[in-house]
Amino acid sequence: MIRLLIRWWALLLVALSLTTPAWAETPPNIAAAADLRFALTEVAAAFQRDTGRTVSLTFGSSGNFFRQIQQGAPFQLFLSADEQYALDLARAGKTQGAGTLYAVGRLALVAPKGSPLRVDERLSGLRAAIARGQITRFAIANPEHAPYGDRAMEALKHARLWDSLSGKLVLGDSVTQAFQFAVSGGAQGGIVAYSLVRDPAFAARTDFALLPASWHRPLLQRMVLIKGASETASRFYAYIQGPTARHILTRYGFALPNARR
Amino acid sequence: MDWDALRLSLLLGVLTVAILLPIALFAGHWLATTQRRGRVLIEAMLTLPLVLPPTVIGFYLLVGMGPQSPIGQAWHLLFGDSLVFSFRGILIASVLINLPFAIQPAQRAFEAVGQDLREAAAMCGHSPWQRFWRIELPLARPGVITGAVFAFAHTLGEFGVVLMVGGSIPGETRTLALSIYDRVQAFDNAGAGRMAAILLSISMLAVTLSFLLDGHRRRRHG
Amino acid sequence: MATGAADMADGLSIALRQPGPIALDVDIAVAPGKTLALVGSSGAGKTTVLRAIAGLYRPCQGRVVCNGTTWLDSDRAIDLPAQARRAGFVFQHYALFPHLTALGNVMEAMLHRPRAERPDAAGAMLARVHLEAYADRRPDALSGGQQQRVAIARALARDPDVLLLDEPFSAVDHPTRRALHLLLAEIRASSPVPIILVSHDLEDAARSADEICLLQHGRSVEIGPARALLDDPDSRIARWLSSAGDVAMPQ
Repeated sequence: MIRLLIRWWALLLVALSLTTPAWAETPPNIAAAADLRFALTEVAAAFQRDTGRTVSLTFGSSGNFFRQIQQGAPFQLFLSADEQYALDLARAGKTQGAGTLYAVGRLALVAPKGSPLRVDERLSGLRAAIARGQITRFAIANPEHAPYGDRAMEALKHARLWDSLSGKLVLGDSVTQAFQFAVSGGAQGGIVAYSLVRDPAFAARTDFALLPASWHRPLLQRMVLIKGASETASRFYAYIQGPTARHILTRYGFALPNARR
Repeated sequence: MDWDALRLSLLLGVLTVAILLPIALFAGHWLATTQRRGRVLIEAMLTLPLVLPPTVIGFYLLVGMGPQSPIGQAWHLLFGDSLVFSFRGILIASVLINLPFAIQPAQRAFEAVGQDLREAAAMCGHSPWQRFWRIELPLARPGVITGAVFAFAHTLGEFGVVLMVGGSIPGETRTLALSIYDRVQAFDNAGAGRMAAILLSISMLAVTLSFLLDGHRRRRHG
Repeated sequence: MATGAADMADGLSIALRQPGPIALDVDIAVAPGKTLALVGSSGAGKTTVLRAIAGLYRPCQGRVVCNGTTWLDSDRAIDLPAQARRAGFVFQHYALFPHLTALGNVMEAMLHRPRAERPDAAGAMLARVHLEAYADRRPDALSGGQQQRVAIARALARDPDVLLLDEPFSAVDHPTRRALHLLLAEIRASSPVPIILVSHDLEDAARSADEICLLQHGRSVEIGPARALLDDPDSRIARWLSSAGDVAMPQ
């Protein structure tokens, strides 16, 4: 009886060992902040055209990725929306150096067409709509682990609208989820990443306004290569700093740091 | 269509069932035939995954298997990588979560064999192993298979634990269920819909199969 | 512990003591070739005694010796498990294995024999109970009486040192009961195996047994030749009969 069990489980172990991914053969896993969902997908496609190499992009909140990478998740490159997460990882010895700034992000107020919320860059439309009781749900990313959510909170506090929105906020697990809530009609609007609303697919469905950068700490987006990263990941890291990628990022509303540091 | 995710889901389902099958057989048999008082306690513990929110289980697994834990550190020493955010980690989670799905139908099936038949086997001179192999297992087999099918279908649908313990890493832990979630977040409802349809079909197939087996058993043994 | 009956070189001797939950105070001996019927009211402990002999029930204190082999001796911490005792047991509800044919059921009791021998030996056993034509039938395709005969064949297939039957007459109709008496007579004539059967019906007991043992509240109060005890109006059995009221006296 025991022999049968041992033989069965030995077979399983063999099968299991076949599930180990070989990093060299499969596309490297890249952890990217959620605000990069449309921009970076285009960059990766261009990378594939230009070099023939593929990367596997995973989007989510920067804080989440920070935690996962700290605990050993197999990502090879991390593009954070807040450089603090990247620097903390470097300090923890997980990375190849301190990495580099690749973009500076902006906040945008967004509302689906037909919403009672009138968008403008000073948020006066939002203030009015709140006063009229027309805002029941307003979407931002979760400030605890999403940099865009954290800055949105800062901006709202700066405009003295944070308190009047309490109880009405819908927190997205990432800024794309917040964008989804804002656009799908579940909320009257939200404050999300500018790069997301710039995607042409949404031009017809939404209105947006760019918020002043002075209302919050800057969104310095820094990327770091994780220790042991493959050749492809390193090349992608360099590619993002190259002209093709920078051009794409600009189209999506990112401001760029000085070229090639 | 995320083929990687489909492959991961199927692999996770198959491996979970393969690991659980011998456990279900022996635990189900033990629970059905033992007179010890400890049985009730074990039955209660085994029912926990059914009633606990998956996030609770996910949390304890993260704490228990994470890189700070003794288990996680031992693993890292032996194999150089981490248990959490890896396929092996979600496999462990999946096996734990599915214990009741696999064991309880097996236990019912062994209970249904009845004390009379077990005693008759003893009076035929059967050792406990012969009795298990020749009498109890053939009669309990449909129930055991039902448990396996349920565990497989349930694994395919598992979301919360896999997300917490595995993250959603493409090619490693992003199963079909997680991929659907990702597609929705990417505003790709068409892609999400295709994968949801596949999951739905597989689940329906599994449930139908288990009912067929049950009917077959009833016709055969009365 | 004092032995009530002397250990015989052959045959079965039983001594059981238990204060509760099922009270037992039994001393019984059955010689080879003899048949003993255990009778008494329901709840008197008849089936418990049978199960204790088979090893399916463990009494507080007991001694069971069969053909010189000690199956149970609580004083010396001997307690052979049921599968180690060569006892053939016919259950009240037959307990046939539903996934096997009649032949398969009988073969299950022959695992001590080489595999090649089993089908023929089992077939011969089924012929002994006149069921050779039904060898390939599953239990659910057999009548109650036929199932019982398969159960008897399976019990005998083990080449047992004692044959135990638990209420064999209670669930069957009259024609089957007659056939069963005939079959038992055949077995008694052809085999030296001691037989113990439990019955709550004295008529059945008297017809098929050499001796009757009356159990009252777990105690073997009277044991002796069937006919003699039944004909003696002063016997305990006779008195138990009349006090029970509506049980017919066998003629």
